[in-house]
Amino acid sequence: MMRLLRSLLPGRRKLGFAYLFSLAISVALALLLGALMMRLTGYSPVEGYAALVKGAFGTRRALGNTLAKAVTLSMTGLAMAVAAQAGIFNVGGEGQLFLGGMAAAIVGSQLTGWPAAVAVPLAFVAAITAGGLYALLPGVLKVRLKVNEVITTIMLNSVAIYLCAYLANGPLRTADKGIAAGTNAIDPAYVFPRLIPLSNLTASAVYAAVLALLCWYVMKRSTIGYEMKLTGQNPRFARYMGMKTDRLILWSMAASGALCGIVGLFEVYGLHRRFIPSLSNEFYFDGMLVAMIMRYDPVGIVLMSVFFAMLKIGGTAMELGVGISSELILIVQSIIIFFMAAQSGLARIVRERRGRRAARRRIEGKNVPQGEATS
Amino acid sequence: MSDIFTIALLQNTLRTATPIILAGLGVLMTDHVGIMNIGMDGMMLTGAFFAVVGSFYLGSWLGGIAAALLAGVLLGLFFGVFVIKLGSDEFIIGVALNIFAGGLTVYLLRTIFGVKGAFSDPAIVPLPRFVWPWLEGIPVIGPLLSGNTLLVYVSWALVLVCWLVIYRTPLGFWLRAAGEHPLSLRSAGISPERMKYLASLLCGVFAGLAGAHLSLGYLTMFTENMSAARGFIAVACVIFGAGSPPRVFLAALLFGFIDALGLRLQSANVNSNLTAMAPYLVTVVMMAVLVVRTEARKKRQIQTR
Repeated sequence: MMRLLRSLLPGRRKLGFAYLFSLAISVALALLLGALMMRLTGYSPVEGYAALVKGAFGTRRALGNTLAKAVTLSMTGLAMAVAAQAGIFNVGGEGQLFLGGMAAAIVGSQLTGWPAAVAVPLAFVAAITAGGLYALLPGVLKVRLKVNEVITTIMLNSVAIYLCAYLANGPLRTADKGIAAGTNAIDPAYVFPRLIPLSNLTASAVYAAVLALLCWYVMKRSTIGYEMKLTGQNPRFARYMGMKTDRLILWSMAASGALCGIVGLFEVYGLHRRFIPSLSNEFYFDGMLVAMIMRYDPVGIVLMSVFFAMLKIGGTAMELGVGISSELILIVQSIIIFFMAAQSGLARIVRERRGRRAARRRIEGKNVPQGEATS
Repeated sequence: MSDIFTIALLQNTLRTATPIILAGLGVLMTDHVGIMNIGMDGMMLTGAFFAVVGSFYLGSWLGGIAAALLAGVLLGLFFGVFVIKLGSDEFIIGVALNIFAGGLTVYLLRTIFGVKGAFSDPAIVPLPRFVWPWLEGIPVIGPLLSGNTLLVYVSWALVLVCWLVIYRTPLGFWLRAAGEHPLSLRSAGISPERMKYLASLLCGVFAGLAGAHLSLGYLTMFTENMSAARGFIAVACVIFGAGSPPRVFLAALLFGFIDALGLRLQSANVNSNLTAMAPYLVTVVMMAVLVVRTEARKKRQIQTR
């Protein structure tokens, strides 16, 4: 039965050697184009990239920041992948992240004086619930009413971000005059310890590692992950096989939102110690990019996150040191996607053309002797 | 209440609706050939940036529009090559295009003008504004029709032109056929691919105009990420409008109204974050309502049959 199922699946979504090879070429070309842009705008590419690598790995602190960024990217990337596996695009992770962070901050600032072993798990529950439920909303709209989830999730991002900004400036605003906008601080006892002093790398990396393992297991090794994959690739077939596709889509959406909510919690409990309106700077979109480049493969996402984190953290150092705007990194990252798309498209065109030529040759080869026989 | 519902509210409605109308017409073009253009937001943003560049360096608003159009057409062609020729996923290319546009505009803002965040300069020439004193005497309609910038009128005309072209000309018929029955179109001797390219290019043209209105229409400046998800609202408008230009126009006016109402309420001391939320929330609610209603209509049709 399983073999029959597997034979029906298109096997091209795997991260094969050919795919990784084309990825390497794309990354190299994108970095080259980035160098060209530096040259054209009057900077030295060698100097720029040297500052980038040094800024990402040069000191213990820089290394910690890069790893911390990799944690955020892999969590958001995995969130995208979990939903995409079941065939639903969660573009609303940014909003889910904000709500999760807000919920966790409320728990941490209201329940002061509790043992951390009780309060922190409660904060996790709050973040998971807030993020998960908020993701469930477009999920239900998609499954029950067939409303396009891409548009609704994007709209819900803005709704959540403005709502949280309202809360942090209004009803939940801290009495502390020194804070521009934000909720009350969480109890210091709940703050995650730093793994590398002075860097952004906190104990959230440990939680993230556990969550990443869990994601990998569910997506790649469990029955439910397999059913999700089938639902994503061929929902009609999955339904005929007796799978509850609607429920699978909803669960994967909720899981995706929960992961984003947890990222919000990480930001609050690890770094800012309170909810602030600038909690995330489009972290989810960066993670989405990683997930799309790695074709939603969990292991690939974690590895690629480290590379993207290097670009991101190093990019800031490059801006400070050499003066090249760090947005260059966004350009390089999106160009990687364009190159990947171009390569797979060109490969397909070449394959089709070759197939057509081979077919024509076969027909001609057969026709000629037949024609001779009849004449 | 009378402070809020004024002529100025309606004037603001027209002003804020215009970029959504123009972007909506662009999305509509690709929608008819069966491509959902999520990248509209980024195309608009790029258009807005190059409108400022053109206007600043060429010293004329025409130069600004020309630069915005050029940027739009190039991005439209770029999008078309990937989605049509290379068969890439339009969603992935759209998302990548948005990120690319966000990065490119800020990078160029930094390297060309040496500023971060926003760029405004007296040397940027805004779009011309048409004031007709004889019209302004007419109550309500007069102040609405007079005193708008060029692209407001252009957008109204384009709604009509698009409707005529799509539903009343062979070209529009081919465009729609390229989306609905590409094989029949091919057997009629017309290439669906060519129609799709045409739609992508037109989409770029509209994106350029929408961007030019954003940065040269009323503000005369470029700010980072100034499209503020308007491209996505335009996509939503096309879904509400079911592909018909007049209906997309009405949907865009509705969003313009909500946006303008929010601004008015803000001056009436309602929290700005809550009012800013409104257009996005309304989009979600409207999309759900629309789908429920069309489903119900379908069901009724089946029952009566």
